[in-house]
Formats: sequence, structure tokens, C-alpha cells
Amino acid sequence: MFTDRGRMDEEETAGYAQPCAQCAAVDWGLTEEGRFFCRSCHNVIERTKEVVDLSFIQGANRISTLSRDSRKKTTGGGHMWMVCEGFQVILMNQADALIRLGVHPHFKDGVLRQLWRLYLQKSRQAYCVNRIRSAKFRLGATDSDSDSGAETSAASGTDGESYPPSSPSSKGGSDWSGSVDSLCYLTPRQRRSRSLLSLKKTLALIHLALVWSREALTLSDLLWLVNCGCVPYVNAHEQLPEQMKLYGKDALLFNVETVPSHRSLHKEAQDLLRFLQLPAFPPISQQTLMHPAPLSLRYLIDANLPGELHRWVCRVTELAGLFQESSQTIHPERQPSLLRYDLQAAALIIVTMKLLFGLDDHSEWELSNNAGCTDGEGAQFNLRSWYKLMQAAQIRARHRREQDTARRQWTAKTPVVSRKKDKSWIMKKKRVAEQLQLCFEKLSSQPEGLKEAPPSSFRFCWGEQKGADGPSLHHTGLDGVVGLKNGILTPHNQSYWHSSLRPCNPGRCQNHLSDLEKTLPSSFVWLLGLFSFLLDVKPSYLYEEVLSVERRVFADRRQDGNQDQNFGSDL
Amino acid sequence: MDDLENDLNLREGLERDDDDSSDNGSRKEGSSFKLPQVQSICQKTLHETGFHQSVRLCLEFIREAMLHHRWLEAAEYMASYAQVLEDKVNLTAQQYKELFWRISTEILHHHPKSTMDDYNVIYERMKHSGFKHYLKICLEHSFHLMLHGQIETAKQKLSEAESWRHGKETASQYQRTKLIQAYRSLLDYIIWFEKKSRLPVNDSFESDSQGMENYYRQASINLKEILKNPGVWDPFILSYVTMLEFKEDQEQALEVLNRYAYDDSFPPNPNAHVFLYQYLKRHDASQKKLKKVLKTLHFLVPSHELMLEYSSLLLQSGTKKDDQKAVEVALDMLDFTCWRSNLDVWKCLQKSVQNLQTEEDWKSFIDEKMAARKDWWPGLHYTKFHAVKDADENPELLKVKASLISVLCPDRILKYSVESSQE
Repeated sequence: MFTDRGRMDEEETAGYAQPCAQCAAVDWGLTEEGRFFCRSCHNVIERTKEVVDLSFIQGANRISTLSRDSRKKTTGGGHMWMVCEGFQVILMNQADALIRLGVHPHFKDGVLRQLWRLYLQKSRQAYCVNRIRSAKFRLGATDSDSDSGAETSAASGTDGESYPPSSPSSKGGSDWSGSVDSLCYLTPRQRRSRSLLSLKKTLALIHLALVWSREALTLSDLLWLVNCGCVPYVNAHEQLPEQMKLYGKDALLFNVETVPSHRSLHKEAQDLLRFLQLPAFPPISQQTLMHPAPLSLRYLIDANLPGELHRWVCRVTELAGLFQESSQTIHPERQPSLLRYDLQAAALIIVTMKLLFGLDDHSEWELSNNAGCTDGEGAQFNLRSWYKLMQAAQIRARHRREQDTARRQWTAKTPVVSRKKDKSWIMKKKRVAEQLQLCFEKLSSQPEGLKEAPPSSFRFCWGEQKGADGPSLHHTGLDGVVGLKNGILTPHNQSYWHSSLRPCNPGRCQNHLSDLEKTLPSSFVWLLGLFSFLLDVKPSYLYEEVLSVERRVFADRRQDGNQDQNFGSDL
Repeated sequence: MDDLENDLNLREGLERDDDDSSDNGSRKEGSSFKLPQVQSICQKTLHETGFHQSVRLCLEFIREAMLHHRWLEAAEYMASYAQVLEDKVNLTAQQYKELFWRISTEILHHHPKSTMDDYNVIYERMKHSGFKHYLKICLEHSFHLMLHGQIETAKQKLSEAESWRHGKETASQYQRTKLIQAYRSLLDYIIWFEKKSRLPVNDSFESDSQGMENYYRQASINLKEILKNPGVWDPFILSYVTMLEFKEDQEQALEVLNRYAYDDSFPPNPNAHVFLYQYLKRHDASQKKLKKVLKTLHFLVPSHELMLEYSSLLLQSGTKKDDQKAVEVALDMLDFTCWRSNLDVWKCLQKSVQNLQTEEDWKSFIDEKMAARKDWWPGLHYTKFHAVKDADENPELLKVKASLISVLCPDRILKYSVESSQE
């Protein structure tokens, strides 16, 4: 325990010249813990050496001292709050952000609150009789019973009672946390039950509420809003009120460093749907914006494809059996799984284009050779010019997206500290990073606050105005592609290819695209890439959806040789 | 190292997003992350968080901008890159800090709007953000200040660094501390020298003599210590010797110089002998001493320019041995192509040969010396091409060289002569 550090100790203890109480010698040294001890009689005294950070910068006047005195109490000053209260605040903030962007307020007041209440009930965190309580609660300190049915508001009636000082969390130990029950929240049993709240779950809840309210926001739209910061997610805990202090184990719950992907969020929402055992959703008809018909029109416009394609997309939707309400509406018996409306619409467009153009690296170019130019009235749609236009715009848009990702800031202004001893160096790092950032911002040429443009649901902008990605091909005709045959409008292209449509075990193999990519025609792969960029999903994910649509379309027609008659459409 | 426990921060069971794992088929990551692996910075890893993805992309953009010399753009991206220093996974933090420091200084070197203040901020912040590179950054900061003429500030920074202690002293820390001490002393010397040169010549009572004394004392004490360590200390030793000369401490100066030149623990350094020779010359040492020093120098660097002085010293003495040595020295010099067209060397050779020819058995001596050279010397000096060239540039050289042919290469028929150059 006592080490002789020689010269260095003398420097540290040089200022202290009191004689030792026991042996009256003045010969001090330092123990491992930094306490002074008398070298002749090994008497340890109470005086401790303050470890001073030798960072005296001339002119900066900033000496940060780390005191080794561990008898300091954590300064509280906050109210006791439960984890679900914290998440509730965040959830409502997210909903408010959406309402500011144009969603109908009924989504929040009518739908989301009910879902939230239902969730809390089902997971036994509130609004029920046999609530999960933490051990501290059982000691009977406070009564934060919210069974009365009134909303648990943020700084609710848990104040007034003083926090017992002997409880473990005031010492910065392992179960030190700001909220009352985060420790019990994170027990292994709780984790296994998978009904825990997390930021991902709040997003999933919002998505369900949006689907129920039949709003036009798809899951990819929601994620895009989260990514550009319009909906709080990454540092959502900064919006919690002052009285709710976050530290310790709360870090595990409230700190996120990734925005979930489409696939994982969809899975989360699916699990939630099953967990909540909701009744049948309000029907999704042709007029609802989530239905493939209007949604595919939106994607056609965004991808600068001709509007005439829309009727063909609807035809394919009918053939796939996805047009009617019953297939689009979520119902506990008939349609229990959560649909991916965005992927579905994109897949339908892809299948339609495959039908009309072939997309086998051969037919589509032949067709476009026969088509005329794309300017002026009565212009025809030319796949080649469309491809050139789209490719250039896509490259620019991908680059912009990468730049935005690179510039995104993930660190919070007030970081949630998970261990008490980390707090000082976390704050120090933050100061350093902030100062360096200021230094470089000063050197940058561009002023700040560039991103003032309000978010738009379209990724591209087509037309003649300034800043557009290119001319709009929306009104071009499909004369080169379809023609009259026996009075019925039929595509010129007579062949269709598809990969193996045998459904495989979803648990076993998920990713077919990486195996098949080399064998698939490159125009098809390119189109897949385009739509996966629009929706910000992985191409393999979209490919699965395309396969499932094809399965539905060709299920009964595998025996049918003459396909083009079935795909004809009345004028 | 002691700071390892500061730097190590094991991640506890943070919830992870499982999007990529299902794509790749396996879910190896459990809920806790016991031993994080060292990850290469620019490589995308399996379970990359959004934060790490942003940081990685930002670094790529910075690199692109720097490679294409788009400094303004690089500075913008650096502003967004600063968040990397707050990374919670501390094992890679060291790499990031060093990376950030070096990139920032590089950008500041080229950026049109960078000022000294910016440099100071960067250096100060990065210095105190970690223990492992505190000393390195201190040195670089001081060098930068020195280069921009801020000698006083540089000295101040180095003094701070000198008194810094952290943990156990490792070998690298020890070396850097020595370097810091040495440079600090050098700066003290520079300040002292500047003050001295500003003194009016005939005024020996200077009001600031106390301050100057201080500088002198600090510099000389440290330099004396430093120079005891083996190493190459050319600028330091020169400044120390200048200071000692000013105080007229000949003994100490000689001791230092001798040790620098002759101590075996020091790496062999021809400059040491040059310094010693120059010092002795300044102080009118005997020819014997001078010759002794130059003899070692001749051994180390036969083609040194001081060899001319050496041979002239040798010729002055007049002994047979010295004449022989002079011939040897001149021949050694002419082995090198840089002296080929130098008239002085050839004249010196001519003179020494003439002196030698007054003795007996000079021929055997010359033959002995030329034995190793007779294959390639004529090609080096006595071709027809050289004849023509010398005739154009320096006819006197031609004459001198031609006169030596019969002595040096008697058996060969060489096409080097005044006549052949005119053909």
C-alpha cells in the first residue's frame, strides 16, 4: 500500500511541513490513494492530495480539478420519474413534430394516446392493477399511482417526498440512475419479455398510429424525417423537462447512435402489432393515400415516369390481388401482418416496367430505338433518354445524401453519463470538440444555417424551374411501348422473365440478391437500385418484395402460355 | 500505461440495431461487448452505428478534399468531424486524436485564412486531450512558434512541457523530454545572443545584464547536461561553444569539443572534427594540433574541402613523411569527381610531387600509391575528351595535369596533351 516514489513525492508534499502527530517528524510521502503518510511511523493522515490537471494554459484560464474526495453527494434537485414517463414525453414530442409538418391532429389525440395507453396496460407498466414495480417502490416511499386513468404527465405528482439518502443510487454505484426504475427495467427477465420501451419502439408506435389514421406518411417517409432531424430521435432526451435528470443506467435506454433501418423498424412495428392485439384497422380503400393506386402515382412522378404508366400499374395491382380493400387493410384474421405499403407500391411499379419493357438488357433498348424524340407535344416516352436523365440525377442525389450523412451531428449538448466517474472526462472531451468545431467554422467560407428548405416528400424535382433535376417526362406518351391489338391496348413486349418464385423459408435465407446479382440483367438491377434509393432501403430488401408480388401475379398463371392477352387493358 | 485505465471504457449492454445482421445471416453480437477489437478507421465494419458511419464518410470527404487541395471545403468538413473526439468507444480514440491533430495542422498550413490564433487553439486543445502525445505536440507547437519568430512564446511552451510529469517515465517520454530540454536551452541561447548583439560595442555595462546572465546560465547549464548524452548535437554545440568563447572559458570549450569528436559513445560525426579544427584555428593552436585533427578528418571524409588546408599545412613542414602524406591526401581527393577540375588540388599535387622528387626512392612510393589506381585513374582524368574540355575551360589546368602524367602513369600511353587537345 505504501510505495516510495522518491523525488516525485517530495514535490507533491513539499508544501506541507506540519510535524507528524505520532512521531513529530516532518517526512511525508504519498500512498496509492493519494493520502499523506508519515514515512517514519507510517501514520496516515486525513489530508489528501488533490489531483490537479496540469493544463494551465496561458490566457485560457481554465483549470479543471478532479477532486478525489468521494464523499460528495450527487446533487439531485430533480423529481423522481419513471422510464415510461420519459418515453411518453418523447413520444408526444415526436407526434407534435409530425403535426407541425401537416399530419392531422386527430392522429395524436385520438389514435396515438389510445395506443400508448393500451401498450402501457399490456406491458403492465401503468394503467393496470398488477403493475411492475421496482424494489424501491415497495419500500413505500412514493405513490405515483396512475391507475386513475388520467394521463401521467411529465412532472407528475411524485414530488414532495424526499428521496431516501441511503438508497444505493446516491452513491454513484452500479445502479445509479436518474429515473426511478431503470434498473429494474433492465433486468434480464424484462429484456427477455421484449416488451421494453426503447426509442425504436416509440417510432414503431407512431408508425402504427399513422397507418391507423390512414395518413400519407409511409415508413420510409417517417425514417427520412427522422434522418433529417425534423422528427426528434437521436438526442430526443434533450427535450425532456428540466426536472427529469438523466444519468447512469438511463444512458442505456435513451442514448442512441443509430437510426433504425426500414427492415428493423418494420419488424418492431410488426411485433408491437401482435403484442397489442389490435382490432381491425380502418379500411384502406382506393382513395386512401397509402393504397397502391395513389402511392404508386406519387412514386411515378418522383421517378419521372410517364403518367400513362399508372393505369398499367393499377392493372398489375388487380392481377396481384392487391387492389381490393381487404388485402390492404390490416385485420386480425384476414390480414394479420403489417404491410409494407411503400415497398409494395415500388415493387408493383417495377413489375409493371418489367412487363412493358422487358428489362432483359435487350428489349427495352430496342423499344427505345423505335420511339421518337421526347420533346414537344405528343412526345413519346423514350427509355434511353429517361435512363440518362435519371442516372445523372441519381448520382447527384446520392452524393448529396452522402454529404448530409457525413455532416450529421450525433452528439448531444448535454450527454447522458452512464458512469459517474466518466462525467468529468466526457465533459472535457465535449468542450475540446466544441472549441475545435468553432475554430474550423470560423475558417469555413459558408455561413451556417444553410439547410432552410422545408422537407419535401419528393426526392427529385422535375420541370423547368430553377434548381430542377431535369425536364419532366410526366406527360409523354407510351405509343412506342403499347399498341392496339384486337381493340385492346397491349404491350409490344411479349416476353417476361423472372427468377425462381418458389418461396423459401424466411428464417433461413434472407438475401437472394447478392447471389443472383451477377446473373440478373443490369437494367433490372439498376431500376432496383433507383427505387431503393428513393425509399432508402437496401436493394435486396426491395427485391424480396418484387419476388413476392411476382408470386402473387403468376401464381395461377404458370400454366397459362398466352400471357399478353391477360395484360391487355381497355382504352 | 497508466492512462490505459482512463482510456479503456468497456461498453455495457447497449441495445443494438440488428438490421445488418439479418442480411449477413449471422447474429454473433451478444448483448455485451467484452473486448472491442481494434478497427481500422476507414473500413466499414459489420455493426457500424450511424455515428460511426457519419464519421467515416466525413473522413473520406476530408481526404478527398485534401488530396485535391480544396482547403476551404476540407475545413468545413472538419467542423463536422470534430464530434469524433467525443466517441465513447475509447480504444480508437487515440488514433482519432492523432489523426485530428495532424489533419488540422495540415489544413491550417494551406488554408488562406488561417492565423496564428487558430494554430494556438488547435495545439493547446489537442495537447491536453490526451497523455500519450502531449510531449510530441508540445515540440511541434514550439517549432511552429520558432519558425514564425515568436521565440519567447516558444520558450515558454517548452518550459511548461519540461516540468510536466505523468505516470511512469517510459523510454519515449524520456527521449522527448531530453529533446525538449535541449531545444529550450537553444532558445535561451538565441535570446541571449539577440540581446548581446543589440548591445552597443563599447558599452560593457548593460542595464539588463542580470537578465542576460540568467539566460546564459540556464542555457549553459542545460546544454552542458545535454551534450553529455551521445547524439548528434551540431547546432547545440555550436551555440554552447559560442557562449563559452564569449566568457573566455577555453578549457571547457576544448573539453566539450574534444569529447564530441573523440568520445566513442557518440556516433561518428565528421562535423565534430570540423568544429574542433575551426575552434583551434581561431585560437591559434599549434600546427601539430591542427594536423592531428585534420588527420582524423581525412580518415573519415577524404574528399572534405578542408583537405586542401591540410595538404598546405603538410607542405609547410617540409619533412619527407609530411610530403608523402601530402601526396596521399591530394590523390585521395582526386579520387572523387567533385575535385576533378579543381586547379588548386592539382597544383597542390604538383607541388608535393616536386617536393618529393628531391628525396630518394620517390618513384617506388608513387608507384605504390598508384598501384591500386592505375586501372581507373586514366579514365577518370586523362582521356582525350578531358583534354578537349580542359583546353576550353582551363588551359592552365591542362598544363598542370599534363606535366604529371609522366610521374603518375609512366607506363601508359595517354592521349592527354596540349597537342592532342588541338586536333
